[in-house]
Amino acid sequence: MTKLIEIEHLQKHYGENEVLKDISETVNEGQVICVVGPSGSGKSTFLRCLNVLEQPTAGKIIFEGQELTNVSEKALNELREKMGMVFQNFNLFPNMNVVENIMLAPMKVKGVNRSEAKKQALELLAKVGLQEQAEQYPQSLSGGQKQRVAIARALAMNPAVLLFDEPTSALDPEMVGEVLKVMQDLAEAGMTMVVVTHEMGFAKEVADEVWFMADGYIKEVAAPEEFFTAPKTERAQEFLSKVL
Amino acid sequence: MQNIKKILFSIILVITMFMLPAHHVMADDNSNVNNTNDTSVKDIKEKGTLVVGVSADYPPYEFTAKVGDKTKYVGMDIDIARKIADDLGVKLELKNMDFDSLLVALETHKIDGVISAINPTPERRKNVDFTELYYSGKQVILVNEADRDKYQTKADFNGQTIGAQTGSLLYDLVKEQMPKAKVKGLAKLNNLVIALQTGKVQGVAMDQPTAEAYAVNNKGLVIMDPKFKVDADQTGYAMAFAKGSDALVDAANKSISEIKEQNLITNDYIPKASKYMKTTTEDNDLIDYWSYFLKGIEYTLLITAISVVIGFILGTLLALMRLSDNKIAHAISVAYIEFIRGTPLMVQVMFVYFGIGAVVQSLPALVAGIIATSLNSGAYIAEIIRSGIDSIEKGQTEAARSLGLTKNQTYRYVVIPQALKNIWPALGNEFITLIKESSIVSIIGVTDLMYQTQLVQSATYKGVAPLFVTMIIYFIMTFSLSKVLGHFERKMNHD
Repeated sequence: MTKLIEIEHLQKHYGENEVLKDISETVNEGQVICVVGPSGSGKSTFLRCLNVLEQPTAGKIIFEGQELTNVSEKALNELREKMGMVFQNFNLFPNMNVVENIMLAPMKVKGVNRSEAKKQALELLAKVGLQEQAEQYPQSLSGGQKQRVAIARALAMNPAVLLFDEPTSALDPEMVGEVLKVMQDLAEAGMTMVVVTHEMGFAKEVADEVWFMADGYIKEVAAPEEFFTAPKTERAQEFLSKVL
Repeated sequence: MQNIKKILFSIILVITMFMLPAHHVMADDNSNVNNTNDTSVKDIKEKGTLVVGVSADYPPYEFTAKVGDKTKYVGMDIDIARKIADDLGVKLELKNMDFDSLLVALETHKIDGVISAINPTPERRKNVDFTELYYSGKQVILVNEADRDKYQTKADFNGQTIGAQTGSLLYDLVKEQMPKAKVKGLAKLNNLVIALQTGKVQGVAMDQPTAEAYAVNNKGLVIMDPKFKVDADQTGYAMAFAKGSDALVDAANKSISEIKEQNLITNDYIPKASKYMKTTTEDNDLIDYWSYFLKGIEYTLLITAISVVIGFILGTLLALMRLSDNKIAHAISVAYIEFIRGTPLMVQVMFVYFGIGAVVQSLPALVAGIIATSLNSGAYIAEIIRSGIDSIEKGQTEAARSLGLTKNQTYRYVVIPQALKNIWPALGNEFITLIKESSIVSIIGVTDLMYQTQLVQSATYKGVAPLFVTMIIYFIMTFSLSKVLGHFERKMNHD
């Protein structure tokens, strides 16, 4: 298996507050990793350190053999485009319609021409079931539709990995399913994914590996069937007893 | 923050201190070499023009008259200046400004000379050189006819308020010789006369010929003689030149003695001035002055439009500097914004014209006015833009950066367009403010709407009516702009 992201002794502090204490793990190509754990355990911070939206305090992030924490701004921009990210609050650009949201990065970053970018954007919209909404503005979409557009937008850059930061937490319950379905399709198509989530059902069904985070450490790494039936650490047992 | 402000303040103080004395020193140097090598006349002849500053609101000495469709500066002082220019063989160019600003403009070499019914007092002699006296007038007080019996002597004004032009001899006379009366100082004589007519002041001290002009043109105003004690230097009028220009003073003196010999003032200049005053009074329907207002509107819109564009570019730059990680850029931007917002626009306008203008001699008042208003609005627009950028969620930037967009692309395609929409109303407000506040540039003689209004006031001897017209014009301009901005705001919200 090819290593895609290597995390070595990652630490992140905000002043006195040590959010990430010492994390070393590896994401392999084609893997779907679900990061679970109690609120405030540093899951989101960890994910945002992976594409250096948060600058780590110490340690290394190595992506495709290059150390992200130690490259030029320009090189970092180029590596970032290969790490798509989907946010809890969608973060669609309200000043552009749906298809323009998707076209922006390919046109401005990759220099794809307008018609090519539009063709690709419409294909991606079809994939997430939203070709009808191409010309609408984000504010007229439902939460579930917004998140599917956000996924299509991330996919438009042909990323090597997709990072999901609690993608269903801000959704009404009846919309969670449509987003998870899109994510499951992606996983089945072989996309490498790191998903911070509270959806234990999704983790159980789709993940190759579950990383359990608590108190600034990754306490347990296990296959889902093992993690959900026989967690090794006490902290994980306690967590699962509350959420399941 | 405190430190930055302190440092900046000291820097500006030091610059100012260096700049002003520098001229005195230069002038003194000139006067030392002067006897052998005074180039003042030669310079004027090479230039081909004699630029003379006047405060054209003091009939019959200097005032404006409408000749056909054009405004002309006329009066006996103007005729004297023209004679001096003719005798030098150069063209006369007149610059109209507030009386207070005249000697400053002369000291900073914005103009070559000043003629404006100036008394050569000892204080003034310290800073400028004067010609021989060319005329001596008497000082009187203009009062309302209804009060004619009430005010017979100086003592009758005890506890009352008397108006006088700031910076004038009259102001000092009232202050010194009528200690029990209050003095109200305004820059423009027109406004003082309005104050008298509306009962804000009980009398206005002025020169006899001027007072006669006002009395003739305004029914209900009469003259009283307070019998001021004055010496010749105080009652007489002389023309002023920059310190050390002895040759120029000599040349002017020669023309003045010719004027005296031929009695030109009483025989020619004053009768001519009276004629202009009379035609002006006969022909003072406000509608005839529409071209004055039109010119004023043109300049006001021009100044506003250019200042808006420059202010917007400068403001964007300052906002980005303030938000940047670069500590120096951040500090410069913060210091600039705080300093500009913490000082009055009026002071900034005068500082640019007289301060920077002292270094860049050929800086026209219009350009100085535009520079000052642009620099000023830049600071306010910077804060508006910064608040707009701050109002955009962090998630927007993160989403853009995670797609590989650079910092600049993120600003350009994602943050700025959204910020612009959020700040549109505030920005519109700033533009409207700018239309109104640009009226300040009238103090340095830019012919904007406010300045033109003052011209109409002095030309028609009407105080309130031109102000009312101007108020309506300003309102029409700001109201139309706010309608246009509202239209764009609605259009943006459709998206």
